[in-house]
Amino acid sequence: MKNFWRKSLGLGMTSLMVMSTLAACGDKTGGDGGVSTSGSGTGSSAASGSGTESGGSTTPSGEVLNLSMFIAMPGAEINDGENDIQKLIAEKTGVSVKETWLTGQTAAEAVGTIIASGTYPDLIDGGDGMVQLYDADLLVAWDDYIEKYPNLKNYYTPEEWDMFRQDDGHIYWCNVFQNTKGASTSTTHNDEAFWIQARVLAWDNYPKIETLDEYFDLLERYAAANPTTDDGMTVIPYTCLCDDWRYFCIENAPEFLDGYPNDGSVIVDKTDMNNPKIVDYNTTDTAKRYFQKLNEEYAKGIIDKEFATQTYDEYISKLSNGNVLGMCDQYWDFMTINDTFKQTGLDEKGCNFVPLGLTIDKGMDNRWHTYGDTLNNSSGVGVLTTNPDIEKTFEFLNAMLDQDIHNLRFWGVEGTDYLVDDQGLFYKTPEMRMQWADPSYQAKHRCVYSYLPQYGGTSDDGKNANLPEEQPSEFFQNLATPLQDCFNAYNVTTYPGMIGSIVEENAPWFPMWSFSNNLTTETPGGVAWTKMGQTKHEWLPKVVMSSNFESDWAKYMDAYNATNPQDFLDEMQQELDRRIGK
Amino acid sequence: MANRNNGSPRDAVITKKILYRQRVLIALAIVFVIYGIIFYYIPLGGWIMAFENYKPKTGLFGSKFVGLDKFKFLFSDKTFIQVIRNTFCMGLLNLIFPTTIFPIIFAILLNEMKSLGGKKAVQTISYLPHFLSWIIVTGILHDSLSNSGIVNEVLQKLGIIKDPISFFSEPKMFWWIVCFAHLWKEMGWNAIIYLSAISSIDPCLYEAASIDGAGRWGKIKHVTLPSLRPTIIVLLLMNMGFILNAGFEVQYLLGNGLVQSVSQTIDIYVLTWGVSQNDYSLGTAAGIFKSVVSVLIIVICNAVAKRSGEERLF
Repeated sequence: MKNFWRKSLGLGMTSLMVMSTLAACGDKTGGDGGVSTSGSGTGSSAASGSGTESGGSTTPSGEVLNLSMFIAMPGAEINDGENDIQKLIAEKTGVSVKETWLTGQTAAEAVGTIIASGTYPDLIDGGDGMVQLYDADLLVAWDDYIEKYPNLKNYYTPEEWDMFRQDDGHIYWCNVFQNTKGASTSTTHNDEAFWIQARVLAWDNYPKIETLDEYFDLLERYAAANPTTDDGMTVIPYTCLCDDWRYFCIENAPEFLDGYPNDGSVIVDKTDMNNPKIVDYNTTDTAKRYFQKLNEEYAKGIIDKEFATQTYDEYISKLSNGNVLGMCDQYWDFMTINDTFKQTGLDEKGCNFVPLGLTIDKGMDNRWHTYGDTLNNSSGVGVLTTNPDIEKTFEFLNAMLDQDIHNLRFWGVEGTDYLVDDQGLFYKTPEMRMQWADPSYQAKHRCVYSYLPQYGGTSDDGKNANLPEEQPSEFFQNLATPLQDCFNAYNVTTYPGMIGSIVEENAPWFPMWSFSNNLTTETPGGVAWTKMGQTKHEWLPKVVMSSNFESDWAKYMDAYNATNPQDFLDEMQQELDRRIGK
Repeated sequence: MANRNNGSPRDAVITKKILYRQRVLIALAIVFVIYGIIFYYIPLGGWIMAFENYKPKTGLFGSKFVGLDKFKFLFSDKTFIQVIRNTFCMGLLNLIFPTTIFPIIFAILLNEMKSLGGKKAVQTISYLPHFLSWIIVTGILHDSLSNSGIVNEVLQKLGIIKDPISFFSEPKMFWWIVCFAHLWKEMGWNAIIYLSAISSIDPCLYEAASIDGAGRWGKIKHVTLPSLRPTIIVLLLMNMGFILNAGFEVQYLLGNGLVQSVSQTIDIYVLTWGVSQNDYSLGTAAGIFKSVVSVLIIVICNAVAKRSGEERLF
């Protein structure tokens, strides 16, 4: 009998434990269900289930509101809570934001997972996934807050704000990039280009490189003359990233080589300005010539043998070693290596990359560089309905655009990170620049909030640039000597100068990618778009590595046409017609 | 998939007395039945999604009903057929090598070791990789199989190859790389159950075999293997159900554009279409397909085992 009681007690304990686990889980699933099924979607039920992420409910004044933010791009985390500038901004605004970044997923996957999990950050830049968040009723409408906060209201013109309106007529996010205040000071080329190390140009006495053929010819000659670097590494003349969504590095060059601007997913042929036509750049003659050229160079051993299988991290570490001479990429995709070069001294050896505005044939105009601001209405920063203090969050977003906070974010602390001369111009000493580029200093001191509202262009004082790298005096001083020599040799002062794209007003439909980025499988065009991507993912590296280019190109074209690209092109044409008001 | 073992012998008449005697066990079982209902059966309600055009905004009950459209899309998609093939083949390779053959061989070899200390050490080392996460294992694999990785370097130094082999750009090798990854990670762990089965074999059998003149090999062949047979069959049957769970992380992390036609599994397909493209219905449909096939495989294999008079699950 004694045995029976002992057993029963044990049983009681076990079931108690199991029950409590069930109860805990039940709570959570209840929260999830509330979000996914509630039609009105105020998300109040979710807030109770997922309050762990945010710092607590409404904050009394004087206390710092801690918010979380997810950014669907890879980035470096700062020492949250121990970062100097983050603290300074929190003192001024009463808000501190902990940023978390994309790791090892695509943006769409990460956002899909966030929606499905029911645990939401307070702020989000979901990249291509913003529409998904809107569809799930998770975003707060900005309309009232835009009216209330002057900085936000002035951030875009009413017409520009209108471009952000979704099908229900409200604004749910705001893109924070490419927004110029005052005079434009653009010194960088934050777009795509074929890049080449400054020392390669120097070695050949700064030749004029205009075509793809000339570019590879120079790489070949340099690599033949300098098979290894100073520190004994084998030179990799050209590499090409194909990892996941970053395969644009191999994929979209044909559109630029043909002299078209970055509409991203298609070419817009405007020979008849009233009747612009969508053209598929994947199947043009230029596309074939470009991939054939890559194929030849691969066979010659000029292209990295591992290009097709390298991951983004491997690619970046390869570039940081300084033995890769050239690649085609967007500046923002690899810009972190400039800090590394500065730290390792490779910048003084001429390892920094400069952009070239290549075309397929000589004498064509190129449009690699986009002058003026590109308004990307498909993504931006949004506030989630579960945010504990929405009012204060918008007050904070508004404060981000105050000049003093803007300076703190991008210039740093006066006296520590920059100095002011007699004319009121900001400048940095070489030591300050070196410190500014140091990753550990960045983690403990710098807090850029790089995905919150910000300006390019000129500061309120009318003198200084909003971003230090755009301060004309600062910009040139900050360049490594080989870069200065290079710029002088070509008689240019900025990166866009190196490219020499023709200056023209952006077309009213530009950029078309803001539409294709948001296609879903709802429509045949969206299905085709996804399948086209998958096919290109497989076949583009394959044709480059092929030992029989012609036959593999034909096979690729068959596989490509089987995905019904016409469905996609038709929808793009419709959107194009809509944008020009036809 | 829940695995249930009846406590009582098959076909026995259940009397009140038996029920009373097993009251504690029954009470315990009820807890798990409730657990099963809550976590395995209630979520099945979500399967409705596969038959409608599910949108988070309109919810499970407000979304448009589309019947079998999602399934039609699946089976008209060439990629999906490819994906089924990949999943099945990689699952089968995993079942044969890392979960069955190698662990059995390893367990028998380990059992033959005389030194107890050595045996313990080898066993511990062999199952340690089981506790590593896939991201680490694939990271190691990616590094060691890269063009300048240790494998290529060794092969080149030995003069076996001249130019480095690009392992990850060759579709033919992908399944074997995945199989090898599983083998390295899971073999030691999977051998544990066989080891314990071996240790429960009656020593008298070995003694009798020795008297009859059996050597080491003879004892393995005539005592160890036959005694392991029921364990092997039951485990094989249970693992059959996991064939379509050929994995997600390994293929996702090791795959790239070049080999995607052989690397994508059903789970990855669900991720690309269901989660990234926001088509939850399509993802659910693919998931249903996977579950139904898994259940079918188990039922069929169990029936086959029953027919041939082997040990079986139910």
